[in-house]
Amino acid sequence: MLPLARFRVEDDSMSPHLEPGDFVVVNRWAYRFRPPLTGDVVVVRDPEVPGRFLVKRIFQISPEGLVGLQGDNTARSRDSRAFGPVGKEAVVGKVWLRLRP
Amino acid sequence: MSPLHSIARVFDRIAPAPAAYAHCDIPCGIYDPHHAQMAAHTVVRMIDLINQLEKPGPGATPEQRQEYMAKLSRYVLVKEQHAEIAKHEVRVLWGDYFKPDHLKTFPELHDLVWMALKAGSKARQEVNLQAAEELLKATNEIAVVYWKTKGLETVRAKAPYPTERETVYPKFH
Repeated sequence: MLPLARFRVEDDSMSPHLEPGDFVVVNRWAYRFRPPLTGDVVVVRDPEVPGRFLVKRIFQISPEGLVGLQGDNTARSRDSRAFGPVGKEAVVGKVWLRLRP
Repeated sequence: MSPLHSIARVFDRIAPAPAAYAHCDIPCGIYDPHHAQMAAHTVVRMIDLINQLEKPGPGATPEQRQEYMAKLSRYVLVKEQHAEIAKHEVRVLWGDYFKPDHLKTFPELHDLVWMALKAGSKARQEVNLQAAEELLKATNEIAVVYWKTKGLETVRAKAPYPTERETVYPKFH
């Protein structure tokens, strides 16, 4: 498995950090040797819609290692406030590069 | 157009990147407790109509019985549907609109949602005016909380529908 993966950003819950139409390059090996940290922007598997990916910021790591996610644009984001924290295995990787038009 | 983004777009044409959603529910933030209140009014109205419906006596003709059955069936059907709509609308507010912060400010929300869903089920199962009125009352109280989270006061007024029950409306100025 190659470490880098590209994703296209849709919707605006991470605005203004990420806008629809941006590409992000994700490092899937980011958490092999270190744990996720609060403040990291990550791509995760949507716990509510199988096969869909979400991009959010980590705002909390519980003692059990669960990852709490929140969109930067809190008023327009569906995130851990609605669906709860996600397991570490749901995290695809850390956003490493943002490519903006 | 930045060069890196252009390269990414070329890559995307060859092998499209999956989308990562900075997801919001679409349409974002469009909620209103009025749907639940209206559906509850409809349930009240249907129970009123069922209770007002003249039951066919022993001497009723087959046509009169048929008419009674047809009317009763329609009222029951609409009562069932709208009790379910009221429950659905309450669940949408509960699951999608209200946030943990709201619950800290309005801890009574738990009980109100619970009351609305229980009364809604009872109003479906039975021809029970009290249950329908409890459902309406609960949706009204949820509306009070909803409008408070929007910084709006509410007024209680007699509904302009045949049910004429007390209803909570937002005060827009």
